[in-house]
Amino acid sequence: MVAEPLLRTFEEPEPGADFRPSATGPALRRLRSVLPEDLRRHVRSARELDRGLREARRAESESSLPTAVPALDRLLDGGLPRGQLVELVGSRTSGRFSAVLAALAAATGVGEAAALVDLGDALDPALARDLGVDLQRLLWLRPVNLKQTLAAAEMVLASGFPLVILDLGAPPVRGGRGLEAAWLRIARAAKAHNAALLVSSPYRVSGTAASVVLKAERARAAWQGEGHQVRLLSGAASRLQIEKCRGKLPGQSEDLKLSLSPFPLPPAPSPVPGEGEKTRPTRVQRRERLAAVAGG
Amino acid sequence: MSGPRIACLYLPLFPLAARLRSEPELLREAVVVTEGNGNAARVVAGTRLARESGIKPGHTLPQARALCPKLVARPRDEDCERTAQEALLEVAESFSPRVEDEGDGVAYLGVEGLDRHFKGETPERSLGCSLLAAADKAGFPARVGIASSKLAARVAAGLPGSPVVVPEGEEADFLAPLPLARLAPEVDLAATLESWGVRSVGDFARLPRERVSSRLGRVGRELHATARGLDSRPLIPREPPQVFHEGMNLEWPLVSLEPFLFVGRAALERLCERLESAGLACQRLGLELRLEPDGHQTRTIDLPAPTRDVKTLLTLLRLSLEEQQPGAPVAGFTLLAWPDRPREAQLSMYGPTALPPDKLATTLARLFALLGPDRVGSPRAVDGHRPERFALVEYAPPPPPEVRREPRTGRGLLAVRVLRPPLGLEVISVISDGQPQEVRTIVSDESEKRPRIEGHVKIASGPWGLEEGWWTEDPVGREYWDVELATGGIYRIYRERASGEWFADGIYD
Repeated sequence: MVAEPLLRTFEEPEPGADFRPSATGPALRRLRSVLPEDLRRHVRSARELDRGLREARRAESESSLPTAVPALDRLLDGGLPRGQLVELVGSRTSGRFSAVLAALAAATGVGEAAALVDLGDALDPALARDLGVDLQRLLWLRPVNLKQTLAAAEMVLASGFPLVILDLGAPPVRGGRGLEAAWLRIARAAKAHNAALLVSSPYRVSGTAASVVLKAERARAAWQGEGHQVRLLSGAASRLQIEKCRGKLPGQSEDLKLSLSPFPLPPAPSPVPGEGEKTRPTRVQRRERLAAVAGG
Repeated sequence: MSGPRIACLYLPLFPLAARLRSEPELLREAVVVTEGNGNAARVVAGTRLARESGIKPGHTLPQARALCPKLVARPRDEDCERTAQEALLEVAESFSPRVEDEGDGVAYLGVEGLDRHFKGETPERSLGCSLLAAADKAGFPARVGIASSKLAARVAAGLPGSPVVVPEGEEADFLAPLPLARLAPEVDLAATLESWGVRSVGDFARLPRERVSSRLGRVGRELHATARGLDSRPLIPREPPQVFHEGMNLEWPLVSLEPFLFVGRAALERLCERLESAGLACQRLGLELRLEPDGHQTRTIDLPAPTRDVKTLLTLLRLSLEEQQPGAPVAGFTLLAWPDRPREAQLSMYGPTALPPDKLATTLARLFALLGPDRVGSPRAVDGHRPERFALVEYAPPPPPEVRREPRTGRGLLAVRVLRPPLGLEVISVISDGQPQEVRTIVSDESEKRPRIEGHVKIASGPWGLEEGWWTEDPVGREYWDVELATGGIYRIYRERASGEWFADGIYD
């Protein structure tokens, strides 16, 4: 417990006390003695440390959580804004779930805890791990209806999770659209706890509670191989469009390109009857190849 | 201070105080606590209102009711008294680690050296006042006496004007004017001394020690030493308890859940207050029910992490009782809390903030209650290739890194939304290579609530073989296809090799 007494010393001085953090004060010496070697050289004076801490805290509270989806980050000016409800609407195969997993991977990758309230029970942990999600930092909740989803989301927001994602699955959503009051409650909880809240839904559900609404168009599949060649799914392309966002015009859009593999696939083999199955890579081989690249 | 100093925390009218602690709503009523059954029950203690009506200890219940028709009578309750005694000892333990349990509302604590922590001309008196304030906060109208011996401290605690401090070495002078009955001599001995004309402690102390010893024997010698302020009994500290208890016998057996939870909530609040004062939290909650006419039931609830949140514990209790009903009226209950240290958070200066452990524990317990333990946790991949399989483990995130890592750039990878359980399909396929041509969800009652997949296959890619557990009795052999439908959507479907049935187990999304 190094930080707490130091912060108290700097931020809450006794009334009337002479508060002058000095460059060689005992608090600074004590702090330096317990800091790791690589951090010690960054701390040069107590005043600078105090200012740095304040700025870091302010920056953290105002910053957004990058999702590592370039199109989404560009539309949201850097990532999911903290303290706001962002609704991502899209039909099946729109890249919605890919964006959810990318956001989870980005947040858990920097060491933040994250919660996924998964109404559709759609998470494949092996795939999530391959996509870069740190499963140890991920709390996975599997509610059975929308009412439970909203109640669970409110609880995890109140416990201080910096990123909470509600995925309502593929339509039909079990529980309809939910009460608008419930959406307002969780939006307020996100604001109170400065958490980024992403709702991924097949249709608009959160009403006026959402600060930002993005729509993902149905994706077009990208296939490798043409005509009678053996086809190989290589990815999908969609488009993200702003429907509602404070300070931005609706209609602004970005292309969302998703690939099944992070490197170009080899040319598809020619169709030779009876030999095609033997030369094709199995699903397991594809996954292993994907995992090898994602892990690197 | 050279010798030992002992404080006595004394709770007058202990059976009544214990009962009123469990039923604080009776504080402003004329209440008596009785011992015995039916009309033969006799008053043990009464509140001020009851005493002002003329009710005295020893009155029968009908006599007491005749004096005060609005009298509220409660029988002595061993559970209430046991938990009140435990709570009294915990108050004492918040001041000193050396506490002796004397029972019946009396606790001794070693206070030598503690006066250094209290300011003022009379630090020991300040210590006594702090003890009184702590006891009052716990709901006890206690009294305090401080002296060099247990007897003198106990006698001092019984006097009005609490706290009473007896300076070191003045125990004999302090006891001298008090009636001899304060020393609680045996009946025979008391009669003998009465016949000698000895009325006060001082009269007895002035008798020659050898003569008293030769005439009254060992008992008389020890009583004489006590009268002179010499109490050789040492303080015997108690072992810290392994389990915290809180409970009571109910006036009327309860048959429905809500009234029981109303009473249980108050008991849980008291339990959590005690845990908090000890700096502990509840890791495991137990409930012992005494059932009518004769029976009992015990249940325990394991918590994902130590917590002392009353709302969470009450919700878990409610769910346990709803799931497994007692089956008979409840005549009494005892709550047991196995304590553990609450989890501590390490603050980070440069890295991401860690989740507050106590809040996380409370949230997890509430999520368990809301969703069930098999629907909350941290996901893990399972050995094998079937995508619908997974494992859930307890959510215990590692501490965040000391320095915030740089966010990785996005790779824009396409994910699969798993359909769990797989969705049954009707598929029209080409006979030669099995390539699906048209797919349609099999209609059933369940399929109403599941996604519908229907349409002509625009492009199909496959088959990708999956084989698992061929050495077991339940092998899995599947042929996977990635299909894009003309109506839109990319799906992952498979055919079971053994049965030839088709399923969809994922949507590329």
